[in-house]
Amino acid sequence: MTVIFGIAAGLALVGALGVVLSQRTLYSALSLVVNMVSLAVLFLLLDAQFLAAVQIIVYAGAVMVLFVFIIALLSPGAEERVHPLEVRLLLGGLAAVVFTLVIGRLTLNGITVAGNGRLHGGLGPFAPTVVNAHGQVQTLGEQLFTTYLLPFEVTSLLLLVAAVGAVYLSKRRRPLL
Amino acid sequence: MSSAATSIVLAVIVALVKGLLIVIVLATAFAYMTLAERKISARIQLRYGPNRVGPFGFLQPAADGVKLFLKEKAAPEGRDNFLYLLAPALAAAAALFAFSVIPIDQTICIGGTHGAGPLSASCPGGYPLHWDLAHLNIGLLFVLGITSLGVYSIFLGGWASNSKYSLLGALRSSAQLISYEMAVSFALIGPVLLAGSLNLETVVNQQHSLWFVFLQPMGFLLYFTGALAETNRLPFDLPEAESELVAGYHTEYSGMRFGLFFMAEYINMVTVCSIATVMFLGGWMAPFFFLPNWLGPIWFVAKVGLLIFVMMWVRWTFPRLRYDRLMQFGWKVLLPLGLVNLLVTSFFVALK
Repeated sequence: MTVIFGIAAGLALVGALGVVLSQRTLYSALSLVVNMVSLAVLFLLLDAQFLAAVQIIVYAGAVMVLFVFIIALLSPGAEERVHPLEVRLLLGGLAAVVFTLVIGRLTLNGITVAGNGRLHGGLGPFAPTVVNAHGQVQTLGEQLFTTYLLPFEVTSLLLLVAAVGAVYLSKRRRPLL
Repeated sequence: MSSAATSIVLAVIVALVKGLLIVIVLATAFAYMTLAERKISARIQLRYGPNRVGPFGFLQPAADGVKLFLKEKAAPEGRDNFLYLLAPALAAAAALFAFSVIPIDQTICIGGTHGAGPLSASCPGGYPLHWDLAHLNIGLLFVLGITSLGVYSIFLGGWASNSKYSLLGALRSSAQLISYEMAVSFALIGPVLLAGSLNLETVVNQQHSLWFVFLQPMGFLLYFTGALAETNRLPFDLPEAESELVAGYHTEYSGMRFGLFFMAEYINMVTVCSIATVMFLGGWMAPFFFLPNWLGPIWFVAKVGLLIFVMMWVRWTFPRLRYDRLMQFGWKVLLPLGLVNLLVTSFFVALK
């Protein structure tokens, strides 16, 4: 388990770095694919099979294929480098640090550090044992259609609006009358 | 050794043996499918087909293999070498990987008491020997995910070759695979709804009284049509349309590098036909009630073989579609029909 975690986490880091550091756009996109697939492996290690499958199907399989498709179609040249002290780079770095801190704080919610340095935390309502007893897909589906119904529907509406907008923008303009 | 360590070692050994078996069987199947394809095409065109190497040409695949391995590996100038070499390996790996969740027979219980009824997969006290390499709760989603990753191999192969025919083939194939994947997924949700599970073994067990093809005839047709497109078979083989694109995405590949693409294509055929068998044709169940069920793997192979034969038959019978027609067919016919099928199925499942 630990070995697999090490490999997957390492690959995820390499992929993430590749996205930022790679000169060629296509390699950046492919690094992101490596990152996403490694994350799916991490989900599997956490016993979240459904999430892992969805991660691969939606992100690595659909979203990134379209990205790669567009990149190859437009075939952009090597990206220009920015000076490390430029404002947008500093702002970006600041945003990254802030988000890391916020997410780190959130994951530590309810977890205490014991004297021996180990982390202790109580199991939430969706602990792996509970979820697996009921079925992962079943639990997620029930939650989506009961507790989180409104956000779920709003998100699907948002996607629909985006799709309609994309169709409108890509359509040839004809005079209305 | 503690019992936990023993069980891990045992699991690893079993997985390795199963993996090796899958690779050997699929590679052999690939070799003989090429022969079958040539024989069938020859019969349809009133020819004899390969009949020089061995009796009835049975050793032809071996000769082909030797030829593929010994051929000069020509590669184009200006290629992206890393991706050029990665693509065929990725294609073969994804094709082999996708097969790992397909149950060929029901779980055998070694040493323990079999769970209640012959259809139960539980095995308290014994060692459950699954016929699939990875017994996942979400087996079907796994297959869909891996096949969607297979797109990269085709695309990268075409892109890295630095050739316009390859690139056009690659672009066509990505667009086609993305479009048809939707239709294929929608067609598969029907049996999933009826079975109430994404685990492929459970789906088969739910068909013990009636195969889902009788409840989901529309879903089966939609799936099979979409699967032809997913495996780049005629009449949907636009990514490698030889009259327009030389050979499409693998134009610039030769020798065993081409062989790997070729192998991936045939193994993908086996995989989609196995999925069709598992989801619609009752997997390892005997086709008639008076035939014995314990011949499971044989029934399974027979059903898959029949579907593969139909795929070959279709290939040598129908002409190729035009590209815009292909896209229209995918988005305006298959997808809406899939949605309607899904709606009707959910309605009846909800009534039950």
